[in-house]
Order: sequence, then structure tokens, then C-alpha cells
Amino acid sequence: MFINYEHENHVYNVTVERREKQYFIMYDNTEYTVEAEEIKPGYLKIKLGDRVIKCVITEGDKEKFVFVDGDVFNVKPVELTGVKKTKEKEGDLSSPISGKVVNVKVKNEDKVKKGDILMVIEAMKMEYLIRAPYDGKIKKVNFKEKDQIEIGEITVELTKK
Amino acid sequence: MFKKVLIANRGEIAVRIIKACQELGVKTVAVYSEVDKNTPHVNLADEAVDLGDPAPIESYLNIPKIIESAQTIGADAIHPGYGFLAENPDFAQACEDRGIKFIGPTPRVISLMGDKIAAKKTMMKAGVPVIPGYHGVKQDNVSLIKEGKKIGFPLLVKAAAGGGGKGMRIVQSEEYLGESIESAKREAKSAFGDNTVFLEKYLDRPRHIEFQILADGYGNVIHLFERECSIQRRHQKIIEETPSPVMTPELRKKMGDAAVAVAEAAGYTNAGTVEFMVDGDLNFYFMEMNTRLQVEHPITEATTGIDLAKWQLRIASGGELTLKQKELYQRGHALECRVYAEDPSNGFLPSIGTLEKVEVPTGPNIRNDTGIETGMEVTPYYDPMLAKLVVSSEDRGETIRKTIWALSHYVVLGVTTNIPFLKRVLEHDEFMRGNITTHFIENHFKDWTIAKGGWLPVDAVIALAVYDSMHSRGDEIVRYKEADPHSPWKHVGRWRMGAGV
Repeated sequence: MFINYEHENHVYNVTVERREKQYFIMYDNTEYTVEAEEIKPGYLKIKLGDRVIKCVITEGDKEKFVFVDGDVFNVKPVELTGVKKTKEKEGDLSSPISGKVVNVKVKNEDKVKKGDILMVIEAMKMEYLIRAPYDGKIKKVNFKEKDQIEIGEITVELTKK
Repeated sequence: MFKKVLIANRGEIAVRIIKACQELGVKTVAVYSEVDKNTPHVNLADEAVDLGDPAPIESYLNIPKIIESAQTIGADAIHPGYGFLAENPDFAQACEDRGIKFIGPTPRVISLMGDKIAAKKTMMKAGVPVIPGYHGVKQDNVSLIKEGKKIGFPLLVKAAAGGGGKGMRIVQSEEYLGESIESAKREAKSAFGDNTVFLEKYLDRPRHIEFQILADGYGNVIHLFERECSIQRRHQKIIEETPSPVMTPELRKKMGDAAVAVAEAAGYTNAGTVEFMVDGDLNFYFMEMNTRLQVEHPITEATTGIDLAKWQLRIASGGELTLKQKELYQRGHALECRVYAEDPSNGFLPSIGTLEKVEVPTGPNIRNDTGIETGMEVTPYYDPMLAKLVVSSEDRGETIRKTIWALSHYVVLGVTTNIPFLKRVLEHDEFMRGNITTHFIENHFKDWTIAKGGWLPVDAVIALAVYDSMHSRGDEIVRYKEADPHSPWKHVGRWRMGAGV
């Protein structure tokens, strides 16, 4: 899993892999192997070598608050570098990123169920899945495979059932 | 004792007073504005009265509304807390007029102490030292130079309309007095449109040290030792401790006697605080008397074992002060940190929002006076103080270390607080050594920001990654191109995308 965090105008790139209680975190050319558990909601106990990081994380409307050792950091998750974050709203079928359409799973008049994958967009070597926000029928597919799609463009028009 | 007390306040101090009443078996009435409807002080009280509009002038400062509420609900006394109406003689008078006991001194004493110049005159008559100065109408240079020489050097020339250090001059010796007065006047004129200046003795390495007083209606007056309150930002205290690191038994005796003399000279009753300025040579000067329970009263309670809020109630209901000066002593050390919803790296500007998570540290001799809880809204209407952390221990060093521990475990998420800042102040070498003055924050923390250079510490990054990994639904962003042997995803763990900037 690849994540970007924004804090005080800096963007932090992190990858994290999970294998049960173990987490492998790549950040700033260093790999950290930790064992972690959530003691109670938001309270993490993270073992890093012989050190224990105790922290509390809560999610606000737009940001996360991280409490570590008396300090609090206000962090926003960000979309891929150079990509503006779009507001996610119910039923939004606009592309969240600028990229290339690599797979179109539906055609006009198809019936889909909520959660079905409609389109796959690639950007920065990652796939982003466009899913049906509700049951319905495809009115129009706006892009075909290998098309370039810009952030905010409507991928598929879907009529609600 | 009273039957029912209305607490004309909000937040932690209302909670503190309600608890004292409950311990004494007194019924309590909270008041609240509509934005405070679901806050701890309201929920804790037996009854609560809605004051409506959140604007202070319509709610917590609305004298007729509060008095009427007290009468309607059958309260026989009102405790004003601190701030709001606590030092308003009209409010104390209005209570008296309607036959409700005001828990505090008489309206006359509140008025006297509210008039800073009259208060100083009374204190001079009582033989209590005040800061020598000239606040007169004669503003010609000849008169000012004459008055300046009387005060002695170094002295401070300051604009009457002053603020922010404009029109302020420190004069080290007589030869610079004339020119300093002239330049201060020029600056005052251009900054404030008024060139009136005051002269005051300049205190070198000034400290703010205050004494707690209790006085009953039968002429018994005691002091409960000092509180060192020099650590201030924007002239408001943020850390207080007792005993003061500079206090000696001789000075304590002298200042304590002076504080009692102040209370006696004023005809003071109930709990009060006499504030002094103390200079680098340990000369002390009366500044003012606060005619209320102070924010920082818990550190006195922690070191004397005396419950000041309960004594306020006993004294106001006609009880006799049975504590004797010679039976009082200080034990150990206590320190209070005020937790504010404010941003120290941005000029201490208040911060508002929802408290997403609140968890205060607990442990032996750790006291939390709070008026907040998880889910509560911090609104822009009132003082941004959220809570007080009061820690006591055997000596100063241990108390500081214990407080640092407590602050490191003090969780308030959702609004920016000064907790990290408080911790840095306590960790500062000069604070540890007790070398503190009222200039401490501006001298040592002028341009302080939380994350130096804006960097997130590695621990926070790890914590976030772990948290997000635990909580990710995991299917929105997926890896692909597994067939590509050069895919960076094949090398996760030894590869990094982009710089860490």
C-alpha cells in the first residue's frame, strides 16, 4: 500500500505492507519492521526493535490527528503527487486522478450492481478502480481503453435504478 | 451552610465549584449559554438554567438574567468563579440587593481593588511597598525629569495609552532621562495620538509572585503562602508553581505579613490573592489584589492540603475561619499547567473545533481540573482555556519530571493546544534551574514552532502508516503489472518513490 501524507506543506511518501501483526514500512530510504496492535480504537502500541511507540490517532473531517509522546501532528492524506484531491461525494463517477484508462468493464445499457467495477484507470503505476455507487443501468461510457483521462472528467454515466 | 448555590460560570471552574458544593451537601445550579448546553458543568449540576445567546454579554455577563434565574430557582447564594462577573462590584451589589449571598468579598472591597490607583494608595498607607512611579498630569519635561530623579534608576518611561512596547524606554541613568522622555513622547504621539507618559521604577529580572489569602467576617486573616506565576504569554499565566524557587523563609514571612496587611487594610473577606512584583534583588512591590478564587488555586491546595473552594463557601455562609497561621505549612512542590486551545507557533491564536479525543493523564498526585470531554465543541465565544493539569511531588525537580510525563500522556485531539509548548518550557534548562522571569517566554521561545523545519517525526509517519494499513479497505488502490519484472512494486521494502519531501 502506497500512501502520501501532507503535513505543513511537505508530502511524505510511505509504503506499508502488512503480514498479520507485522508491518513493513518504507520511508525515506529506510525500512522499518514493526509489530503493532490497536489496544483500543485509535490507540496503537507499536514495537520497533527494543523501542515502543505509543500513539493515538483520530480522524477529523478532513485530516488525521496523530498524538505521539505529547506532540500532536495534523496530517492530511493526499492523492498522488501533482494530483488535486477531488471531493468524494455519493454517486460521483468522475476520475479522481489524471491517467490512462486501462480497462473498461462495462458497455452501454449494461446493468450493474453497487460496488461493481466499471473502469480501471492507471496513474503512477497504480490502478484506481471506479465502482458503481449504486445499482443502475449504464447510460454512456465516456472513455475507451488507452484513452487519456483528466482529473474530474466523468468516466461513466449511470442511471440509478 | 447554603441550601442551593448557583454557579455563574462555565468550564473547569464551574465543575470545580459544583464538586465542592456537592461534598458539602449543597445543591447546585449551573447556568449555560446555548453552545454550552451539553458540557460537563451542566451535566454535573443538580439543575441548570439556559441563558440563551452565546455572546457573553447576553449570557454569562448578563446580570439581570443570572440574578433572576437564581431567584426563580431558589438559590440562596451565587458563586461567580473567576473571570466573567467575578470582580464586578455591580453584580455583587445586585446579589446583595436581592437577598442572595455573593460568594466573595463585599462590593465596596471589589470596587476599591478594581481601582488600581486607589488600591495602591491604600496599600502605601498600610505600609506595603508599591512600585515607585509617577502617573501625574504634569507632562512638561522639567516636571517629569524632577519626578524621574525622585524614583531613581533604572526607570521605565511608558506611554499612558501604551501597548506592545511602543513609547516605552528603559532609562539606565539620569543623563539619558531628558532625551528618553522626549523620544518616548514622540513615539507615543505617532503611535497612539497621545503623548502622555508615565514614569515607573524599572524592575530588573521581574517575577510575579502572589500570596493566597483567606479572611472571614470575624477579623481572622491568614495567608497560604506564595505562588510563582512568572511564566506568562501575552501577560497571561500559563505555568504556576509553589513554592517559588527564589523564596526564602525570611522573604516568605515578610511578603506573607504584607499580604495579610493588604487584606486587613482593605477589610477583605473570603478568598483573595495579593499579587506582587519581585525584582532580581528580591525587593517586592504590591501590584494588585484579585478579589476571587484564582485559576491557579489548586497548587496551593496541593501543598497545604486545604480546600479553598470549600472555605469560600463556609466563610460566605457565616462560618468562622478556624485555620491558624502557625498551624499551616507547605509540603512538597506543586506545579500547574494551563491547557489552552491555542496555537503557540502562531502567536498563541485561539483554535476552535470539535474535540475528537480527550484523555487526561492520571496517577499519584496528578490532578485534572477540566471542563471538557470527547465530542465537545470548542467555540470562539469564551476563553480558550480547556483544563488545568496540577501535579505535585516531593521536590521541584521531581514535580517537573512528573509533569513532563503527564503532558506526554495528555491527549487532546481535534483542536490545536499548547501542550507540546508547555512541555518544551518545562524541559528548558533555565526553567529547570528556576531562572524564570516574566520575560521568560519572549526571551526563550520567541519564534517557537512545533515541528522544527516542518518535519514529521519518523514515529508519527510509522504510526500513520500502521494505522492506515490496519484500517484500509485495501481494494481501491491495488498493485498491478505483476508481470513486469522491473515494477517497483516487486521491490517494496528496498525502494522508495520520490523523495521524503
